[in-house]
Amino acid sequence: MSLIPWRRKHEQSDVLPGRAVGALRSEFDRLFERFFGDFETAFPELSAGGAWMPSLEVSEAGNDLIVKAELPGVDARNVEVTVSGSILTISGEKRDELERRDGVTYVSERHFGRFQRSIELPAAVDADKVTAENANGVLTIRFPRTATSRPNRVKVLPGK
Amino acid sequence: MSTEMATNCCTQPTEVNAERTRSTATYSPAVDIVESANELTVYADMPGVRPEDVEIQFENGTLTIRGNVADRQDEGTRFLRREYGVGDYYRTFQVSEVVDAGGISADYADGVLTLHLPKVAQARPRRIEVKGK
Repeated sequence: MSLIPWRRKHEQSDVLPGRAVGALRSEFDRLFERFFGDFETAFPELSAGGAWMPSLEVSEAGNDLIVKAELPGVDARNVEVTVSGSILTISGEKRDELERRDGVTYVSERHFGRFQRSIELPAAVDADKVTAENANGVLTIRFPRTATSRPNRVKVLPGK
Repeated sequence: MSTEMATNCCTQPTEVNAERTRSTATYSPAVDIVESANELTVYADMPGVRPEDVEIQFENGTLTIRGNVADRQDEGTRFLRREYGVGDYYRTFQVSEVVDAGGISADYADGVLTLHLPKVAQARPRRIEVKGK
């Protein structure tokens, strides 16, 4: 949200008081619309509409771009990683088949079900040499950085 | 199944006031607790913890789960987006006498710790014979 510049000059009439308030109000309207209307895409990691979104971490180390996703309870067979141009998509399902069969649930803080998240990769990466590994509930996707933009399906290897 | 007995079993988790000797943050893992006829099952999400770094203690009716995470090597790493922090996991629960402490077992796979807390024999559902005249 951009701040309204505070102007001392009164001879400049491009920021009349009414217009400044109007601009502020439309900023607020946009923010509220984003918060209440488009919540799932504006704040993907907080989406509560039944679906859940894994939390991500994107970092650069050495010559690699590394994307990590917290996916507890998801093994390599249940996650799919796709790279298309500069968009990385992580999708899959966290299953809970055995856990709810019989019994009374007292505390339920964990999320289940299908998930999908796409992010734009911030740097040009070589999609052919990308690797993905899932270990201990963390999916680590590693890209060496160069310029290429062909779609590529990545095979996820189970971790140790 | 007696729900009245069961509601006393696990009170709200206690606050995280673990002593820390390292500077990493400590997080409370998300858990699910399910009671079935013969046991209480606790599922805790602790992604990023290796199996050998999971610690479970049960003492005086308090169950403590801990997942130690190695310190990150941050030199030379530039973070572009961080939606989760990295640190140890710690959570404690008060567990009633319904649980047979000697029979607690745990599995850990894919970042999820599953604790099986069997109930003592008297707490399991028993069929009571009705004697008629």
